[in-house]
Amino acid sequence: MIMRFAISIVLALIVWQFHAVAQDAPQSEPRHDFRYAFSAIDDATFDSDLRPPLPATATMLKDPSVTLLQNQLLLEPSFTLRYHSRWSLASSVVGLADTFHGLSAADFNPPAGYPQVVTSLNAAIEPYTGTRTQFRVKETYAGLSAGDFDFMLGRRIVRWGTGYAFSPAGVLDPPRNPTNPTDRLNLNQGRDMVKVDYVRGPHAFSLVWSTSALAPAGSNLRDTTAFRYNILVHGFDTSLIAGDDRGGDAFGGLTFTRVFGQAWELHGEGAWREHEAILLGAKYTTTTGVSFIGEFYTPPNIPYYRNMSIGPTAGRQHYGLIYASKSRLRELPGWKQWDLSASIVTNLDDRSYTAILDANRRFGNHFSSYLHMEVPQGSKASDYGATPYSAATSVGVRFQL
Amino acid sequence: MSKINCILRTFLLLFVLSFLLACALVCRAATPDAEALLKRSDAYRNGWPSYVLKVKITHYESGKTDEEKLYEVSQKGTEKTYVEFLSPREKGQHLLMLGDDMWVYLPDTSRPVRITPLERLNGDASNGDVARTNYAVDYSAVYLRTEKLGAENCYVLDLTARRKGSTYQRILYWLRIEDARPVRAEFYLTSGKHIKSASFDEYVSVGGTSQLRRWTLYDEIRHNSRSVLEYSGIAPRELPDKLFYQGRTDRF
Repeated sequence: MIMRFAISIVLALIVWQFHAVAQDAPQSEPRHDFRYAFSAIDDATFDSDLRPPLPATATMLKDPSVTLLQNQLLLEPSFTLRYHSRWSLASSVVGLADTFHGLSAADFNPPAGYPQVVTSLNAAIEPYTGTRTQFRVKETYAGLSAGDFDFMLGRRIVRWGTGYAFSPAGVLDPPRNPTNPTDRLNLNQGRDMVKVDYVRGPHAFSLVWSTSALAPAGSNLRDTTAFRYNILVHGFDTSLIAGDDRGGDAFGGLTFTRVFGQAWELHGEGAWREHEAILLGAKYTTTTGVSFIGEFYTPPNIPYYRNMSIGPTAGRQHYGLIYASKSRLRELPGWKQWDLSASIVTNLDDRSYTAILDANRRFGNHFSSYLHMEVPQGSKASDYGATPYSAATSVGVRFQL
Repeated sequence: MSKINCILRTFLLLFVLSFLLACALVCRAATPDAEALLKRSDAYRNGWPSYVLKVKITHYESGKTDEEKLYEVSQKGTEKTYVEFLSPREKGQHLLMLGDDMWVYLPDTSRPVRITPLERLNGDASNGDVARTNYAVDYSAVYLRTEKLGAENCYVLDLTARRKGSTYQRILYWLRIEDARPVRAEFYLTSGKHIKSASFDEYVSVGGTSQLRRWTLYDEIRHNSRSVLEYSGIAPRELPDKLFYQGRTDRF
């Protein structure tokens, strides 16, 4: 009896010890790893005094301009699956439902007895009416990591530029809109490519071949081969870029960023494609957490860099950006969940500009709401003055999982 | 007689020399090696040369839960830290620290963005609190005094930033005498402002080493605000150097 009791105690102690060791043992690396994200955005944009780009039928408009409401509902799931830290598969897509209000045939006075004019008018205003749905593949790619090499095949957003609003050296970047540089609705799509990276110590080499075969119609893309060498030396994060657009230009580029002291960051880009394009920028952070970014950008007036509103004989252009932002206004009671930013993008040659204001408010861990305003100013023939509305105001709600 | 005097004088001389030597040794022993203590205390948050862990930060405002954030941290040596943001609102963001340089990768910009030291202080628990945990590398230490803090007898060290990448300019650091385990800290900016305090609340044994499990950051500006940092999934891991490459956009 006593012997059995003693054996039970010993067995219990042994089990307890194993359990303690198991709890103490660190976790081993998992074989699979899966990450996902989901975002749903409902964005309503009011274009005030919209002058729609209509053909001659615009002379029949009852009022010289209209206020157009565009409501966009976006569903954006994404995932990445990694197997043994070597193989990876990732995808990010956008489902978009676009609804317009505010423009219809009733806004026009077409001449009676000319049905072909009415048909032409309906075709012209059709893009600004009704509901349209789209499915966009932002990224879908497979990757393999082998020693110092990384291989990637598929559609991927790759940004080599360092600028905030402008990026002449971003030869693979999606189109950068200076009034919306962060692509706030995540609508940018990547390019279809094969990419190889080799990282050895401080040196990194990237080789990319991108095809335009599957690019959206009207995207103006060509097959591109590009090479980048990147190194971090004495705090300078520097890249040299070279490549060629099939049927187009060969190009070269240089980028750098560096932090000085506690508060300053400098960045710059230089690109050569027929002529040089230069970007110089700086960021300053105050002790209260306010960030300021200033950029100066000068591109040559060639088709690759030219805005649609700039004529081919206008010569080299010069642009400036000033941007200020503060995340989480903790210093103000009740404003901790708010982020604010404001910026002005200007064409220094024709003195037109667009002022942009963003306010974002968080609700808990999953919801946020925002206000985004753009107000272009300048003559009707100027770069930003040619924008066909007097103000664009967007309000929206975002859910993230 | 003179012979006895000679012997006595020799004895006295030897006794005085021994006494002085003993005093010197005792005094030296009474002043602890601050740098060694600091290095020993870092082992409670950096148990291996290369490791991963998850960090959950719960922010409280006026006693109520205000926000929760989740991170996965990969650390290699004292100079390389990679942080992945896992909270719903921050998914897709990454932070990379290489020595004094730091980049944040934002899905909006789809590229690494260089951030300044002042930008690291954003948040109740700053990026620096999560990414920089090797105080012996970032700070020089001086022993101040011995102090009893609650039930713990502690050495108090004065840490001064010695590199640009240090999150704070100065830290007052309380370490338990018996094992250099962190007990409390006070954080100061370059202006001398006391910005945060910390209490190191809970430790856990992982693979035979005692590791910090939970600590609390108290906001000394907004006194009703605090953040609790909880570590889990702490494990040594072989991490490739290319995980810490600043230009790599192929993140997780």
